[in-house]
Amino acid sequence: MDSSLVMIGLTNVLSINNIACILGGTALGLFVGAMPGLSATMALALLLPLTFSFDPATGLSMLAALYVGASYGGSIAAILLRTPGTPSAAATVLDGFPLSQQGKAGHALGVSLFASFFGGLMSGIALLTAAPLLGTLVLEFGPVELFAIAVLGITIIGSLAQGSVISGLLSGGLGLLISTVGMDLTTGTPRMTFDQISLFSGIDFTVALIGLFSVPQALTLIENSHQGNKVASRITDRLVPQWKTIKRLMPNILRSSGIGVVVGLIPGTGGDTASWFAYNEAKRFAKDKSGFGKGEIAGVAAPEAANNAVVGGALIPTIALGIPGSSSTAILLGALMVQGILPGPNLLTDYGDVTYTLIWAVIMANIALLVVGLAFTKMSVSVTQVPDGFIACAILALCIIGAFAINNSLFDVGLMLGFGLFGYWLSKAGVSPAPMVIGLILGPVMEISFQQSMLIGNDSFGVFLESPIATVLLIMALLSILQATPLFSWLRRPFKRRLERKR
Amino acid sequence: MHANTLSNAIRISRVARQTGLTESIGRPAAARLCGVLGLSALAIAIVPLAQAQEYAGGDEVRVLQGFKPGGGSDALAQLVQPKLAEILGVDFVNEYMPGATGAVAWTRLAKQSANDGSVISITNTPMLMTNYIMNDAITYTTDEMTPIANVVTDPGIVVVSADSPFETIEDLMEAAEQNPGTVTIGNSGVGGDDFFTTIQLEQATGLSFKRVPFQGDGPSATAAMGGKIDASFNNVGNVYGQVESGNLRALAVFAAERLTSLPDVPTMQEKGIDIVAGSSRGYSAPADIPDDARDQLIAAFETLADDEAFQSQAEQRAMNLDVVTGDDYGEMIADMEAEYRDIWQEVRDQVSQ
Repeated sequence: MDSSLVMIGLTNVLSINNIACILGGTALGLFVGAMPGLSATMALALLLPLTFSFDPATGLSMLAALYVGASYGGSIAAILLRTPGTPSAAATVLDGFPLSQQGKAGHALGVSLFASFFGGLMSGIALLTAAPLLGTLVLEFGPVELFAIAVLGITIIGSLAQGSVISGLLSGGLGLLISTVGMDLTTGTPRMTFDQISLFSGIDFTVALIGLFSVPQALTLIENSHQGNKVASRITDRLVPQWKTIKRLMPNILRSSGIGVVVGLIPGTGGDTASWFAYNEAKRFAKDKSGFGKGEIAGVAAPEAANNAVVGGALIPTIALGIPGSSSTAILLGALMVQGILPGPNLLTDYGDVTYTLIWAVIMANIALLVVGLAFTKMSVSVTQVPDGFIACAILALCIIGAFAINNSLFDVGLMLGFGLFGYWLSKAGVSPAPMVIGLILGPVMEISFQQSMLIGNDSFGVFLESPIATVLLIMALLSILQATPLFSWLRRPFKRRLERKR
Repeated sequence: MHANTLSNAIRISRVARQTGLTESIGRPAAARLCGVLGLSALAIAIVPLAQAQEYAGGDEVRVLQGFKPGGGSDALAQLVQPKLAEILGVDFVNEYMPGATGAVAWTRLAKQSANDGSVISITNTPMLMTNYIMNDAITYTTDEMTPIANVVTDPGIVVVSADSPFETIEDLMEAAEQNPGTVTIGNSGVGGDDFFTTIQLEQATGLSFKRVPFQGDGPSATAAMGGKIDASFNNVGNVYGQVESGNLRALAVFAAERLTSLPDVPTMQEKGIDIVAGSSRGYSAPADIPDDARDQLIAAFETLADDEAFQSQAEQRAMNLDVVTGDDYGEMIADMEAEYRDIWQEVRDQVSQ
């Protein structure tokens, strides 16, 4: 690392112009993130042409800030309204919304903000110090390894199945099934598309997500709106979390940030995957698992730390090798190209001044997030003062706009409403939509990487055992499944006994 | 028609980004920031530039894009359309309709768009043709379009990882000869140019490769870089930076002549294999648009091709300009279609087994 370039980057960021852009970008990101359907990628693509005329430092600072802001913004609507603002905030709903129902929305939002801040900051530091080292790791992840990650991710379905395992598996299986709609990657054959070309690219995961989470919530609000008592939360507690809460959550936040960085740097997986992994690990490591799904604050901190850590993680291969780690960083790479910087491994050397500016902008944007985020969150909390009937209508309107905005397609709006009704029925039947979301996210990754692995490995399953990374990940997946079966507690019994004897 | 209030709301933001591009040069960043936040305010402030001759297709042209904003097609749009807007005195409004590798937008263009010159689309080959060659459910054809101009062609290239045992294209082909069907070649997806180039090479040489499809050129190049596949058939614009920095080694290009940017890389023709291939991006309109509008659009692209500022900007963004206008573009599309139809006819059973 060339320290002079690092300093040039820092001084580039610390101009009044750039700080203003970072603050503005963060605010814009928060807004976009909070709106269901409007994603960071979309906002980046829209803002990109505007930055063409900026100097590189200013333009990149603003784009990076937007990316950071949007990663946190998604949790606001997730916690207050049970409608994830971004796909990566879906896991936050599980514990964030129950907290908000218990009147602890401020607590949940505050922890979410601080977890996001720490996650983002840590990934920024990883980016600054270890990018070249971690960047080369990316090349180790080919189709074979990606398949193993997807399998490991699928096992989360098991631990998410609250109450009934059967309904959880049903929900996850449905998600996987729905994810097969669209053209087969290796043959180009359309599957379950009914000659409807809007389905050829498959069902957009965000469309399903909006339908499954937001529409049932709106309908439930309408259902209960005639009742005197307001179900939605009132802000009675403080927004800034107490130091001892943060201290208690620190191991969780650190672990989740690590997960976020690693998942972020692998191309093909992003914030939507990382947040579920982090949630799952938070639950696995927790001593008392009973609170999860009913308003456990650790279940808010984990996904939020992870999805903000993805920002820095996804940027690592982007700047170290010129390989985008996510669709959002692909657009950032486009921003560099417009400035005459061709993506490649010389980003850290030949174009070090611009690249380190980007890295510092990410770190600064996290600090800006804390400041702007507090104000923004305070404001958005007032949404709970609005009567439920109005909120429900606003959610439905946002769902429709969001579903339309993804592909500018009315077909998607219909699809979203279909998923909405299905989701409403699921919630009445007591089936959680969370496993289905995981199936939808990881299904395509798993299928495609499996097909590619089979081609590379000449149709032999041995290909998965030849890769050490894949082998380790698959063993972890196996253990994760066994953990949920009686076999595991039987295996562990002798160990436990020995431990007890020592005591 | 595609005109409801929702799409208007989206369009306002699209207009704003266009004007943001042309208008905001030189304004302080903070003011621009306000511009972002006040999208609608900006949108109202559009004043078409005064022009000697008015464009026959009206003062607003919608550009249907078959891919997501921020991708390669969008990059072309952001470079070309502000210049075209100046030449023609119209505003360009991008409408993104990603889906079915562009087929959603091109079906809209061919079947459901006004043919008065007010709607055009970015047309990418070979997907423009292979979409309906390979899928009966996709019903538009290029006969239902008026070709306006091709703008860029990104030649095909063969790349391997820096530490690959294959030093030359002959090494790669020899390996395929010794162990047929085991040398893994990445491509950008079934129906893309790299997929067809691989088949063309197989047909020309009698060799057989293992074709591994990826979701785009980027993942295919990354897999080659990590040595996960033996080689990636890719496009120069996507891998140039990696080749220059030594992470990837280029074995051959599918171009008619050696590229000035990669003078040491041989062409396939030099090796006695007559394949010239690549992916192209251009503009087309619906069939039977008024001659005035067509001529004006074509003239605008010809003016653009001679613009030195445009040429240098394209070079800076690693875009290989290949401006082919009007009937010549139509011929280019027709030739490609015939070629790809033949190839697909031969391999379709083998691919979709």
